[in-house]
Amino acid sequence: MGKGFCALFKKDCRMLLSGKFFLMATGFLVLYTAYVNLGYIRFMQMPPYTVYLYDPAGTQTEKSPLLQTVPSLEAMDAALLSDANGVGLDASDGDVRAVLYRGAEHVDRHRADYALSLLQPPVTAAPEVLGTNTPEQKARREITCELLFFELSAVGFLGIAAVLFKEKSMGVIRVHAVLPLRKSLFLLSKLAVFLLSDLAFASLLTLLNVGLAGGAAVLPAVLLQTAVLSLAMSLTGLLCALLLKDFRQFTLAYLLLAIFAATPVFLSANTSIKLDWIGCHPLYHVYMGLKNAYFGTAVSPIYYAGTGGVIALLFLAVRLAFRREIGKEG
Amino acid sequence: MKGLKYQLKSVLRDKFCLMTFLLPILAAAALNFMGSIDLSSLGELHFGVLENDLSPQAAAWLERYGPATAYTTLEELTAAIIEPSTNVIGVRADGDSIKTAVSGDELDIFQQAAATLPALYEQRAEAERANVLTLERPDILEGFQDIFISAVLIMAMFMGCTFNAMNIILEKEDGVAFVNEILPMTPSQYILQKVAVGFLFGSLSSIATACICFRMSWQNWGMMLALIVLSSFVAALIGLFIGKLSEGLMTGVVHIKLVMLLFLAAPLLCALIGVSGPPAVMCSIVPSQPAFDGIMALSAGNMGTAVKDAGILAVHCIAWFVLYILLSSRRSQQAM
Repeated sequence: MGKGFCALFKKDCRMLLSGKFFLMATGFLVLYTAYVNLGYIRFMQMPPYTVYLYDPAGTQTEKSPLLQTVPSLEAMDAALLSDANGVGLDASDGDVRAVLYRGAEHVDRHRADYALSLLQPPVTAAPEVLGTNTPEQKARREITCELLFFELSAVGFLGIAAVLFKEKSMGVIRVHAVLPLRKSLFLLSKLAVFLLSDLAFASLLTLLNVGLAGGAAVLPAVLLQTAVLSLAMSLTGLLCALLLKDFRQFTLAYLLLAIFAATPVFLSANTSIKLDWIGCHPLYHVYMGLKNAYFGTAVSPIYYAGTGGVIALLFLAVRLAFRREIGKEG
Repeated sequence: MKGLKYQLKSVLRDKFCLMTFLLPILAAAALNFMGSIDLSSLGELHFGVLENDLSPQAAAWLERYGPATAYTTLEELTAAIIEPSTNVIGVRADGDSIKTAVSGDELDIFQQAAATLPALYEQRAEAERANVLTLERPDILEGFQDIFISAVLIMAMFMGCTFNAMNIILEKEDGVAFVNEILPMTPSQYILQKVAVGFLFGSLSSIATACICFRMSWQNWGMMLALIVLSSFVAALIGLFIGKLSEGLMTGVVHIKLVMLLFLAAPLLCALIGVSGPPAVMCSIVPSQPAFDGIMALSAGNMGTAVKDAGILAVHCIAWFVLYILLSSRRSQQAM
């Protein structure tokens, strides 16, 4: 049995190699790493609102150094137009007037009051800091988690189906029906190949983007979640590939999954938008598991029991579909 | 003409193929629906308070700046502040004043807001009398909605590419490609037939998507139609390239994925970062960039830019077409 498994494993690896699968994974790893380090970290910055002061007579004596003085009203208008989040303070006729472009109601009120408060002597009390991450660490963890989730669900799903359709068309499944091997080995070797490549991908992505020290600390938890996600997605991919007729039908199922299943998860887990029904979304829990792993938050044992059960069920379903497929072929 | 009829027949019989083209339309409808989700809450301040901690006046004052959620215990409040997906600022009473708590990983803008909140509270009486002039300006976040819609439209246009590539790869795998070679059919006939199907359905689905998403004048519609037709044509041609270059299904999928990524990433990054000068010219090499740029310009009512982008797309059409003819004629000479 061990020997048969090894042979199957080798064959699957060779197939992925010839399909340039590993090349693609490496390419995406490089692309994501470049995106995180060169683009995202710089892009995800939101400095405090800039406040422009026009005060020709110099009436404001206790102004904060955060204020930018402008020489004329025209200069202030130009500055506000290019920086729509900024606030202008016009102190040219005694009474100070705040000028700003309309945004959301609450935010506007805060911007105006904040700008006016800069004219008063500062009484800033440093807020209590409860967490341990800096903004950059948080941004790195968040984006790495998103990219990993996207890549695992996409590659696991699409990759395993592409391999299976290829084998279907080559008649490998028919050959398998007469081979003296246990039928589950065929499935297990595929799962093992994808699981190992996903784990390697996850480790490299985490270490390269979260940082060596921080990445190594969360790596065990991340790998556990990666294994859960990878197995679940590969099994779903196998099931779809076994049930659907050809690859074109499969791409449709894939697009549906990618767009309609993943978008609400991202919206709900990364922004303050909360959808009431998101708790019923299975991928949401998996995504939150991965995210909790990146942020070092504990995951409840019910979650592991649930995912374990789902993976076992999926495996049984896949085995049933595989038997049916062999029956049809043979 | 007869060949085209057969192509259309085979497409219409394949229900799933039709659904591929319906997909962007569905996504557009979903986006229209999503427009009702209030995206403006993203930049808002969110506060977390303890029940029965702040005075009613202070709580009412806090609500002026953003929604405040009350938690029963300190642990719950701490967990809400640390929760990485939100930017909750904790606010607690501190004698007559208030004090704030953050998790330390928020963007600068939220940290600054937390640091200055006690000062704002001290000066709340003056703030009531403040003289504030609010100017009208299209909401910045509405721009994001436009970007989403344009991205879906680009997807719709480039569906033709996916379809053509898949079609040719499957023909290769089934051996129909060999049959095609001995049929009495010139290469240009073959190209026209293949391009026509992807082009036709790609542009139809984009037009439907555009109808759902955009409300504009007839003149602008004419321009939009030109953009859609041109870019669907380029997409269908690129699909032919992918089909030709991919040996099997697996490599085909990889190529399609890479091209899709490039097509979506180039214009989105350009729009979000605001590229100009030589890098912008470089980006125009990706055909989706002028298409995206043109749609964004049209939705902002900027006709001049849209005409320029349609021109760039026309150049793309001719260049890709000539390149394809050259490649296939060289290949057929080699085959002789």
